[in-house]
Amino acid sequence: MREVTSNASPTRLGPAAVLRGVQKSYGPVTVLDIPELELKRGQITCVVGENGAGKSTLMGVLSGTVSPTTGEILIAGQALQPGRPDHAKALGVSMVAQEFPLVGGLSVAENLLLGRHSRAAEQAGRLRRVLFDRSGTRQEARELLADVGVDGIDVDRPVGQLPVPLRQMIEIAKGWGNHPLVLILDEPTSSLGPVEAAKVLHLARRHTANGGAVLFIGHRLDEVRDIADRVVVLRGGQLVADLTPEEATEERMIREMVGSELAHSDGAPPVSRTDRTVLLARSLTADGLGPVDLELKAGEIVGVAGLMGSGRSRLLHTIMGAQPRTGGETELNGRPFRPRHPADAVAAGVGLVPEDRKEQSLLLQHPVRWNATLATLRRDSWHGVLTPGGDKERSQRIVQDLGVRMHSQEQPIGDLSGGNQQKVVFGRWLHAGPDLLLLDEPTRGVDVGAKAEIYQLIDNAAQDGLAVLVASSELEELLRMCHRIVVMAQGRIVADLPREHFSKEQIMTAAAGTQSLTAGSEATA
Amino acid sequence: MTTQTTPVTKGAGVTPRRRLRSLVETPEVGVVVACVAVFVALALARDTFANAVNLQGMGFDLAQYGLIAIGESLVILTGGIDLSVGALLGTSVILISWFNVRAGLPAGVAMLATLAITGLIGLWHGIAVTRLKMPPFVVTLVTYTVAQGVTLAITSGTSIVGISGFFGDIGQSYLAQIPVPLILFAIVAVAAWFFLERTFVGRQVYAVGGNPEAARLAGIRGDRRIVSMYVTSSLLAGFGAMLVLGRMGVGSASGVGVGWELQAIAAAVIGGVSLTGGQGRILGIVAGTVLLELITNGLTTLQINSNYTNIVLGGVLGIAILADRLRAKHFSSRA
Repeated sequence: MREVTSNASPTRLGPAAVLRGVQKSYGPVTVLDIPELELKRGQITCVVGENGAGKSTLMGVLSGTVSPTTGEILIAGQALQPGRPDHAKALGVSMVAQEFPLVGGLSVAENLLLGRHSRAAEQAGRLRRVLFDRSGTRQEARELLADVGVDGIDVDRPVGQLPVPLRQMIEIAKGWGNHPLVLILDEPTSSLGPVEAAKVLHLARRHTANGGAVLFIGHRLDEVRDIADRVVVLRGGQLVADLTPEEATEERMIREMVGSELAHSDGAPPVSRTDRTVLLARSLTADGLGPVDLELKAGEIVGVAGLMGSGRSRLLHTIMGAQPRTGGETELNGRPFRPRHPADAVAAGVGLVPEDRKEQSLLLQHPVRWNATLATLRRDSWHGVLTPGGDKERSQRIVQDLGVRMHSQEQPIGDLSGGNQQKVVFGRWLHAGPDLLLLDEPTRGVDVGAKAEIYQLIDNAAQDGLAVLVASSELEELLRMCHRIVVMAQGRIVADLPREHFSKEQIMTAAAGTQSLTAGSEATA
Repeated sequence: MTTQTTPVTKGAGVTPRRRLRSLVETPEVGVVVACVAVFVALALARDTFANAVNLQGMGFDLAQYGLIAIGESLVILTGGIDLSVGALLGTSVILISWFNVRAGLPAGVAMLATLAITGLIGLWHGIAVTRLKMPPFVVTLVTYTVAQGVTLAITSGTSIVGISGFFGDIGQSYLAQIPVPLILFAIVAVAAWFFLERTFVGRQVYAVGGNPEAARLAGIRGDRRIVSMYVTSSLLAGFGAMLVLGRMGVGSASGVGVGWELQAIAAAVIGGVSLTGGQGRILGIVAGTVLLELITNGLTTLQINSNYTNIVLGGVLGIAILADRLRAKHFSSRA
C-alpha cells in the first residue's frame, strides 16, 4: 500500500535526490557548500555536525524553504524550483520539522490533512471538494496515526492541548501522510521518550524498505549509529566525511565534526579569577532545569556548553528571575538571592544579555540612546525626572566606551549592524555596574571584527571583578574565552572542566550524552 | 560603494538631507502641517470660522475629546486598547449628577467619589490585562457595555437636573477669553508630555509597549506600568465628565460619550501613535485631536450636511492609518 516505487527495483530508478554544486551564502559568509550529494532510494542517510555546521540549511535547501545561491537540486530526476516549498512537496519531499508548525486551535485530524483534501473528497466531484469532508478527514487521520503507531488519540482534540511528544508524533504522521519519496527528519526523537523514538526509527526503516529515501538529522550519536545506512558529516558548511556504518564509530564522528583541535593558547583569557564567591547555586530547579549546583567567583568567566534544548538559556533565565524557579537556593555575594522578577535581579547587581537581540534586547524603532540607557535610567534621573541631556550624556559615554559605530545617538537602533547593536546592549549592562553578567549567545549574528571586540569587553569586565556566565552554542567561542566550562544535557550539568582540561571531544561527548549522561540518567531514573 | 564614488557629497550633503528625511519621517510633523493647512483653508473659505465665538466653541469640544484621547493614547502606548473611555465618561456624568443631586453630596465630594469609582475600574482593566492575561479589547468592551447599561439603569433615560453651580463655573467659564476646560486640557497635555518625555517611568512605558520581553529582561516591571496607564485612562474619562457636565448643566446621558472612544483612537492614530504600542508622542496626539475638531467644525461651518461628517472623518483616519503602515513598512525594510 505504501509502495513508493511502482514495481521496479529501487536501484534501477536512480537516486531519490541529487544536490549538485549547491552553495548558500549570506553576504560574505558561506554557510553551505556541497559539490555533490546523492540520496539513494532505500537508504537512511544520517547527517551529523555541530551547531552551525549547515545541517538546517541543507534541509532547508532540499525542502525548498531556503533558496540556494548557486547549484541545482534534482528530486527523482526533476529539477526543484529553488525556494518553492510547495514544489518540493509536489516532487515528493516531506520535512518533519523540529519546531512543529501545527495549528494549535485545529483538531488533530484537521492538522494531519492540512493543505490537502481527504481521499474521498479528492475522488468526488468539484462541488464536493469545496466543502470540508469531515468524516473522510477523520477516517484518514485515524488510518495515518495507526500507520505510524500512535493509538488512543481522539482525532477531534485540538492539537494545542496535546503534550509535546504527541505533537511531534502528529507532525511525523503529517509528513508521512504526504506519501513522500524523500522523508527529512530533523532530530525527530529529541522530544520523544524511548517508546515513541523506537516507533519513529522503525518508520524510517519501513520507508526505506519500501524504496524511499530518508535524510535523518541526528543529535544523539548512539541513535545515528543504530539507524544509519550512511553517515554524512558537515563542518563549517562543508561535507567533510561520508562514512559507512562500520566506519561511523562515535569517536570517528566526533573527530570529524570537531576537526582539528584549536590551539588553546591563542586568545586565552587573562587570569582574573579571585577567591570571592559571587554566585552560589544549590540544587536550583525550574521547569526543564536542574537540579543545578554552580559556583562563580569574581573575575571568573564560566562557559555553559550543551546542545539545543539542554537548558543553557533556562539556567541563565532562572538565575535572572525571568523564569520561575521551582526549588533550590541561590546566593549573590554571600546573601540569599531569590529574584521573582528580573527587576529584583537587576537591583541586586545582575545583568543579562539575552540570546535573541531583536526579540529580547532591543527597542528596534527607538533611538540608540534609549536602548543604551534602559538599565541605568532610574539611577541617572533626579527623583524620577530625566534632566534634558542627562541620559544623553550617559549614552554618549556608553557608545564611546564601547566604540559603537553609528551616525547619531538619535537614530533608531534597528539601523545599526548586529555587532554594534550588541555592543549597545553590553554597554547598557556594563554601565549598570553589575557583579554578575549573564551572557546568552553573546556573538550571535555579529561579524568577526565585532566578535573580537566583544571578547575583549568580556575579558575587561572579568578583570574589573565581574563574574561572567556565558552560554553559547559555538564551542570554539567558549574554548577561547572561558576559564571554566560546564556542560549541560537535559537540564543538568554533566561535566565541569577547568581550562587545563578543555577538550572539544570531551565536551561534545558529554553534551551528546552518550556515556556520562546515560550513566547519570539511569542512576536517577 | 558610496565611499568610493561620492566622498565629497557624503561629507557635505548627507546631513541636511538626513535631517529633512527624519523630519518627513516624524509622524507628528505631517499632522501639525495638516492642522495649519485645514485651519487656513477654512478661515479663508468662511470668515465666521475663525471668529472668537467659533474658536471658543472648538476649545470646549477639544477639551472633552482631548482628555480621553490622551488617556487612550497612554494605554495604546503600552500595547493595549481602551474601548471603555467614551461609555465611562457618559456614566461618570450621570454618577457625578447622582451623587450631587440624589445623594446630596457637595460637588467636590461627588467628583471625588466618581473619580474613585473610575480609578477602580481602570485598576480592574489593568489587572485583568496583566495578571489574568485577558485581551484588552475584550476587557474594556465588557466595561463599555456595562457602563452604558448602568447609565440607563440610573436615569431610565431622563436627565438629572439641579446640579451644583460649581460644575458650570468650571465647564462654561472663560479665563481671559479662553475656555477654562481648554486650559485644563492644556495642563493635562503638558503633564502627560512631561511624564512621557522627562520621567524614567514614562520611558519605561514606551519600552513596555515597544518590546515587552526586552523591557522585562532589562528589569522593568511592565505590569505596573500597564496597570497605571489603564488607571490614568479611566481617571481622565471621569475628569472629562466633569467638564461635559458643567457645559451641559444637566446630567443627561443622551449623546454623551457614545462613540467617543473611536474619536479618541482616531485622534491617537492620526497623531502617529502606533496601535502595536511603543510609539507616539503627545504633540501628535494633541494635533490629531485638533485636526479632527477642525474638520468636524469646518464641515458645520461650510454648512455641509452633518450626515456626511463621519464619511470625511473616516477618510482622514484611513489616510492616517495608511501613512502609518507605509512608514512602518519603510522602516522594516531598512532594519
